[in-house]
Amino acid sequence: MRSLGLSLLASGVALASAFAFAAVLRRETALSSRQQPLAERWLEPRTLTSPELVARGRALFLDSCAHCHGADARGDEGPDLHDLQVSDRYIGHVITHGIPHEMPSFAKKLGELEIGALTAYLRSLR
Amino acid sequence: MDPEYWAKAHGAATHFPFALTLVSGALDAAGFALAGRPVVRDLHAAGYWTIVLGAIGTVPAVATGLLMTRGSVLGHGALRLHHLCVWPAFALLVALAAWRVSAGRRSTRPALGGYLLVVMLAAGLMSAAGYWGGEMMVAR
Repeated sequence: MRSLGLSLLASGVALASAFAFAAVLRRETALSSRQQPLAERWLEPRTLTSPELVARGRALFLDSCAHCHGADARGDEGPDLHDLQVSDRYIGHVITHGIPHEMPSFAKKLGELEIGALTAYLRSLR
Repeated sequence: MDPEYWAKAHGAATHFPFALTLVSGALDAAGFALAGRPVVRDLHAAGYWTIVLGAIGTVPAVATGLLMTRGSVLGHGALRLHHLCVWPAFALLVALAAWRVSAGRRSTRPALGGYLLVVMLAAGLMSAAGYWGGEMMVAR
């Protein structure tokens, strides 16, 4: 029983150390890129998608985003947006809040439905 | 530093704990199956050191992975699936090594049987994590 307790303690300490190291790295990265840190969640709702929503998102992308990210979203002044490894919530957060000195906020131009369509389009990029 | 450097370092570092855990499980399983024979003691000694080295090997594997993803512990898509397998596997591997160190040679046969089941679970999770990690490399 003592061995079991020690093994549980060791794995807890290892996980806590790894997550603390990750939190430091996230904060440093966010500060250096001027992005707003956003905590990751174990359960993230996924944006619903459909061909119509993707088409709507593409139209919005060409209208609002293509002049920085390129018409094919492969990057130009802004980064390549293919195969993004961040959550849908984080994509929405960046669109809404922007990135100081790097990307404007689209909060006044794009509502929740438009951001959902844009996210669906970005997820379709492979 | 260039994230590509950490991606290469992570690819190199992850194979050590993975291989050592699988070998450790195989050695202990062989020792379990061959109970009573003279070779059992050597098999369990080799299983002991390989699981301990495997647990130590998780430190560079996890550190390079976190540096590569700039601190993401979940992410999205294949990265999320990779992480959902990696974290339980990491916790299990450290727990298994700590149990072996703590229990020493005092473990009973039923306890060793339970230990082997948990090793199989950890190996399965590590294999799944490796699969999703490979998928991300292929996508690049």
